[in-house]
Amino acid sequence: MYSIDYRDLGTPPAASDEPVTLEIDGATVTVPAGTSVMRAAALADTRIPKLCATDSLKSFGSCRLCLVEIEGRKGFPASCTTIVAPGMKVRTDSPRIRQLRRGVVELYVSDHPLDCDDCPANGHCELQDAAEVTGITHSRWSPGATQRGQTPDVSNPYFDFNPDLCIVCSRCVRACDETQGTLALTIEGRGFHSRVAASERQPFLVSECVSCGACVEACPTAALTEKSLAQLGQPTEAVTTTCGYCGVGCSLNAEVKQETVVRMVPNRNGAANQGHACVKGRFAWGYATHKDRVTKPMIREKITDPWREVSWEEAIDHAAREFRRIQQKHGRHSIGGITSSRCTNEETYLVQKLVRAAMQTNNVDTCARVCHSPTGYGLKHTLGESAGTQAFTSVQKADVIVVIGANPTDGHPVFGSQLKRRLRQGAKLIVIDPRAIDLVRSPHVEAAQHLQLRPGTNVAVINALAHVIVTEGLAKEDYALARCEPKSWQDWKAFISDPRHSPEATEAVTGVPAARVRDAARTYAGAPNGAIYYGLGVTEHSQGTTMVMGIANLAMATGNLGREGVGVNPLRGQNNVQGSCDMGSFPHELPGYRHVSDPAVRSAFEAAWNVSLLDEPGLRIPNMFEAALDGSFRGLYIQGEDILQSDPNTNHVSAALAAMECVVVQDIFLVETARFAHVFLPGSSFLEKDGTFTNAERRISRVRKVMEPLAGYADWEITMLLSRALGYPMDYSHPSEIMDEIARLTPTFTGVTYEKLDRLGSIQWPCNDAAPDGTPTMHVGEFVRGKGKFYRTEYVPTEERSTSRYPLLLTTGRVLYQYNVGTQTRRTKNIAWKPEDVLEIHPDDAEARGIRDGDLVGVASRAGEIVVRAALTRRIARGVVYTTFHFPESGVNLVTTENSDWATNCPEYKVTAVEVVKVTQPDAWRDRVRTQRAARHGASAHAG
Amino acid sequence: MSTTVWVPRDAGALALGAEAVAKRIASEAKAAGADVKVRRNGSRGLYWLEPLVEVETAGGRVAYGPVTEADVKGLVAAGLFSGGAHALALGPVERHPWLASQQRLTFARAGRIDPLDLGAYRASGGYRGLARALEIGAEATVAEVLESGLRGRGGAAFPTGIKWQTVLRQPPGRKYVTCNADEGDSGTFSDRMLMEGDPFSLIEGMTIAGVAVGATRGYIYLRVEYPHAAAVLKEAIAAARAAGCLGPDVLGSGKAFELEVRLGAGAYICGEETSMLESLEGRRGEIRVRPPLPAEKGLFGAPTIVNNVITLATVPTILADGAAAYKEFGQARSRGTIPLQLAGNVRRGGLVERAFGLTIRELLEDYGGGTMSGRPARAVQIGGPLGAYVPASQFDLPLEYEALAAAGAMLGHGGVVVFDDTVNMLDMARYAMEFCAIESCGKCTPCRIGSTRGAEALAAIGRGEDRERHIGLVEELCDTMIQASLCGLGGMTPFPVQSALKHFPEDFGLRTRGG
Amino acid sequence: MNVQLLVKMANDISNFFAAEPDEKAAVDLVANHLKKFWEPRMREQIRGYVAGGGAGLSSIALQAVKRLA
Repeated sequence: MYSIDYRDLGTPPAASDEPVTLEIDGATVTVPAGTSVMRAAALADTRIPKLCATDSLKSFGSCRLCLVEIEGRKGFPASCTTIVAPGMKVRTDSPRIRQLRRGVVELYVSDHPLDCDDCPANGHCELQDAAEVTGITHSRWSPGATQRGQTPDVSNPYFDFNPDLCIVCSRCVRACDETQGTLALTIEGRGFHSRVAASERQPFLVSECVSCGACVEACPTAALTEKSLAQLGQPTEAVTTTCGYCGVGCSLNAEVKQETVVRMVPNRNGAANQGHACVKGRFAWGYATHKDRVTKPMIREKITDPWREVSWEEAIDHAAREFRRIQQKHGRHSIGGITSSRCTNEETYLVQKLVRAAMQTNNVDTCARVCHSPTGYGLKHTLGESAGTQAFTSVQKADVIVVIGANPTDGHPVFGSQLKRRLRQGAKLIVIDPRAIDLVRSPHVEAAQHLQLRPGTNVAVINALAHVIVTEGLAKEDYALARCEPKSWQDWKAFISDPRHSPEATEAVTGVPAARVRDAARTYAGAPNGAIYYGLGVTEHSQGTTMVMGIANLAMATGNLGREGVGVNPLRGQNNVQGSCDMGSFPHELPGYRHVSDPAVRSAFEAAWNVSLLDEPGLRIPNMFEAALDGSFRGLYIQGEDILQSDPNTNHVSAALAAMECVVVQDIFLVETARFAHVFLPGSSFLEKDGTFTNAERRISRVRKVMEPLAGYADWEITMLLSRALGYPMDYSHPSEIMDEIARLTPTFTGVTYEKLDRLGSIQWPCNDAAPDGTPTMHVGEFVRGKGKFYRTEYVPTEERSTSRYPLLLTTGRVLYQYNVGTQTRRTKNIAWKPEDVLEIHPDDAEARGIRDGDLVGVASRAGEIVVRAALTRRIARGVVYTTFHFPESGVNLVTTENSDWATNCPEYKVTAVEVVKVTQPDAWRDRVRTQRAARHGASAHAG
Repeated sequence: MSTTVWVPRDAGALALGAEAVAKRIASEAKAAGADVKVRRNGSRGLYWLEPLVEVETAGGRVAYGPVTEADVKGLVAAGLFSGGAHALALGPVERHPWLASQQRLTFARAGRIDPLDLGAYRASGGYRGLARALEIGAEATVAEVLESGLRGRGGAAFPTGIKWQTVLRQPPGRKYVTCNADEGDSGTFSDRMLMEGDPFSLIEGMTIAGVAVGATRGYIYLRVEYPHAAAVLKEAIAAARAAGCLGPDVLGSGKAFELEVRLGAGAYICGEETSMLESLEGRRGEIRVRPPLPAEKGLFGAPTIVNNVITLATVPTILADGAAAYKEFGQARSRGTIPLQLAGNVRRGGLVERAFGLTIRELLEDYGGGTMSGRPARAVQIGGPLGAYVPASQFDLPLEYEALAAAGAMLGHGGVVVFDDTVNMLDMARYAMEFCAIESCGKCTPCRIGSTRGAEALAAIGRGEDRERHIGLVEELCDTMIQASLCGLGGMTPFPVQSALKHFPEDFGLRTRGG
Repeated sequence: MNVQLLVKMANDISNFFAAEPDEKAAVDLVANHLKKFWEPRMREQIRGYVAGGGAGLSSIALQAVKRLA
């Protein structure tokens, strides 16, 4: 079924800029060379009937409905597969054409139900449209062979496949191939008996299908339909908004019926996602109205007391009173706040403003602390800006793609699909990861090199790569000398040329064969365009920042910065983690990454905010915990972050939280951290507010309200209430006013307005007078810091290493179906695919411990102990184990340690020395979480 | 002195018992103490005489046929090994009028030599063509093929030289030569006979093509139903490689050409060139939209020659003897010779290679000797299951591309299937639709759904249901399929249907047909 | 705060800058880092610790802390 604001041009745009003028039905039309006749006609508002064509997929030419007449050409060419030519004269309609189209539609109708009124796609079905246009109301063919009567496949929790309604146009199969790149669907059988099948005729749920919904989006009829459509009926309006999951920031159209989301479909004009989405963004939004949502503010004196529902006034007053009391007693720096990367730019901006202006402290931090803070530091120091350098589309021009410590097909699936598309076109892939992620080898994708390094040895590997490039003369000396500080280049060259960095010297440490490192270095350095994409496998290490700098060094040395197809690209985790950093969420800097010690910057904010601001950095999250344990930090305002589950060394965090006197949690669910909260302020989901998110490519996109906040207030309004109660009133009537203030105060945001966002769809900052429409590619011609700077990146082994007591190294990651600590996805039907965290262990390590696939195992580190189920796999090397942290009952962060990045204190989640033993009982933690959840459900059922 | 006896290893001969005959001849010779060497050749294409046993005598090769295992003892007794007289004796084989009257260029060696004897191949002029191609170079080779007037023998009759030129003109880089050996038309067997009887001519032809367009790799896409051809080809390729005729340094030229046989999986549609390429790439055999042409973007996206077996196997003779010599044969725009395959209800079926222009009647009567049943021939279907039915009244049409096209028929791959007057043309029309329904790849709608509906409607007509209405629907469907189908399968299936309706309306329960 | 943690953090920082060939420059860089990113109380505490000997701190870290005003 197509969307309500659907306009399909039939075939994708042509790459060329060269204009071609032709005549369509007598009208002169000029389009880029390479455009199909169908698209040219559509651009001139002539809709040629079609079924197999859609502008997100390559033309296919199978339905034979779009036939046209072209002067001087024989027969009736299909307009979707015919490319325009200068002077071409096209007729899109004639009695003869109509006759043929009728003949084709009548064949379709001869085996398709005609009871459109009962069909969920009624009114939005392309076959129905084609029948109407051709005047076919029934089939004259006598009843004969039929494909109807097959059992619908309802196995997928989000969509159904009803073969009776399928017209075998192959759009779903092509979408699975071209858009998603999973190749899970196929047409099986031949001729009349051709039918769509998932994998080898398996139910969708158990097939290779990853439930991205591209097939559903592509289906012209109701053969593939969202279950919600049948349950809720057709939507009446569409609201374009931005996905609230990962840092890809897909533009989605929320199709709504009376404030109820009926379905969420990818926006074909979305610049980040290009009309694609993943199982989370497209389908897993049901959490927003889950029964666990808390909609009433609550307070309690002690964390051992039961929660008491109170009015907003009481809750806010209580929180403000407590904060002021603590400040009076323990000093103004005894409290602080945490901004949320799940919230909008405007909301994070307000929280840091509240902390700095109303609380008068710089004790503000954000969850980027635990993910990409090293990116900010590393890229700022080397290149001059704390952000990725490219737009996602840039990958389509890359010749060699290096993926380091990232798993895009699981963690950033929509970008993963774009990357795979490029790989299918022949770009080479180098994967640097302790684990054989899907990209290493999956259908139609194979990495040229997989450097399967030991966790914790990133810097040794990146240095070895750089060593090969420099010592083999593969560096772009001219570029480095022209674009970077010559002294730093010469100095670094000498540093990196030292034999201790050679692949041969580091092989014993990294576990990566030297020859493979040399091959990879040559492949990257030899590429016309080499692009690096990296994730938390780079940053979440004690040398996270060093590694980010090492990556920047490598890109500068090979001239791979400042144009399309290259770059250093952090794949950022949360929907707005880029934005929360941009908005001044770090304790040492104001919006736009400007240090609090800069008097000019400070005075601008002081003037705008009408307060005086501190010139000293505040506490980082782990410092806050430390300070809480020694009694100097006692109050915390947490906007949408479950620090208890997401931060390392859970026992340590819970002790710190327990030591505080006023913890205010503002969230949509009673998250784990709320166990230690004194005030709970019910927040709002991304569907309940206006604002903006900034994705990993610095793209600012609008979030638009599709329903009223369930608890009455959007998060920015709650922060305003709290600020007012603290005696610092803020007065915004709409988030656009907050953005206006951000733009006034932040040079990289000067040109950003909601009006412009509406007009352009999205804007990549910097957006100012120099770049009024934004900046897709950074560092063109010159680095933001002027000259790029090479840093010496000495490999310093982490103190976390395998010992006789803890012989294995645990590293962590994500799966496609769950998101982060799972607060949202666990409350959706995504649970059908991934019901628990498992520990991946190499069969040899398992055998040595008597562990079989599916056994419960205890995982112990020096910090703590957990119990999970084992999954035997050769994806990981011997000596390494791997798990995810989506489920509170597995409590993975009980075992992670306090080790952190030297520059930013980003925790070293990716390396924990552990021992794994077979156990027979779930541990106490798991029991507690389960019991508590059951109790909570019981309570809410009672309350309801 | 040893006597050589030839027994074909051709699949047609084998089906008729050639293997047992060969073994029996060897054992009888041994029993008789005769010094006899049984060698295997391809078929000469006189299938009503298979197994056709030939004995080398002082007076040349003399033939006996059809020989059954039971005949061998008597033949030996009658002096088989010295060419003795016998009821099955046919005399000197090359003087047999059926063969002597043919103009065998492409099939010059078929049946004469051991197909795997590279020495014999070269001794009979083999690899002269490649040597010349290497000598004159790519441009001149393509020009020679263009000049010869050779057109695609697979059925589409597209000028081969133009196709090659297109591939040659593509920027240098990876290119491919592919041979379409998915011979699926009913009543055709020339590809098989050539591959089993003279595989080196195909290998040489493909090598010439590679040299001519700058391709270094070729694939023979062979239908899985031809296991004997597969075995012969694989052995011949190995022999050619061992002799330096294939491989990294073809005939010492420094040019590389590798060849590989790939088996299809039994789909007629994979004989269509773009489906064949899909199948070669390991995908579902489904039509690709053209443009781009395979010559521009073919196998694995690279410029690709796709030619039929006969086309490629004809190239060596063109290069060896020159375009002018080849062009001498044929008429108008149909130059050279065409290997016609006579089958169906006919007394003497087999392969007739003649210059273009032989009439249907000459083929049917002079070669075929009339119908097998002895009843009058009512129609022939030319060019496979998608070819039009030609009524007896048009049997004087010459077998030549343009003349047949003008009469609404087509030569196709050169298969001619004969029907006597007991045939029901409504059944044949329905069969055409059924064939299409079974073989449709399922990509385009007119073919995928239309063929099934067409077969159902024709069946209804046969049952006498609502005849006029159903005939009207079928006629509309034929128009839709011809104009709107994606490829020749759907686009040509209506030809036999329409021709049956046009020429034999009475079989459809219609008295007369207007227009 | 747990001063041992501060010692570890300071050492981690100095480990990075130790790659500088010029130790004086390294000391400056560490001191600068501490100034830019450490909350005053933390700087205060480690200064106190250094005043008491600064056991466990690397040489560069020790010098850097001493450099803090």
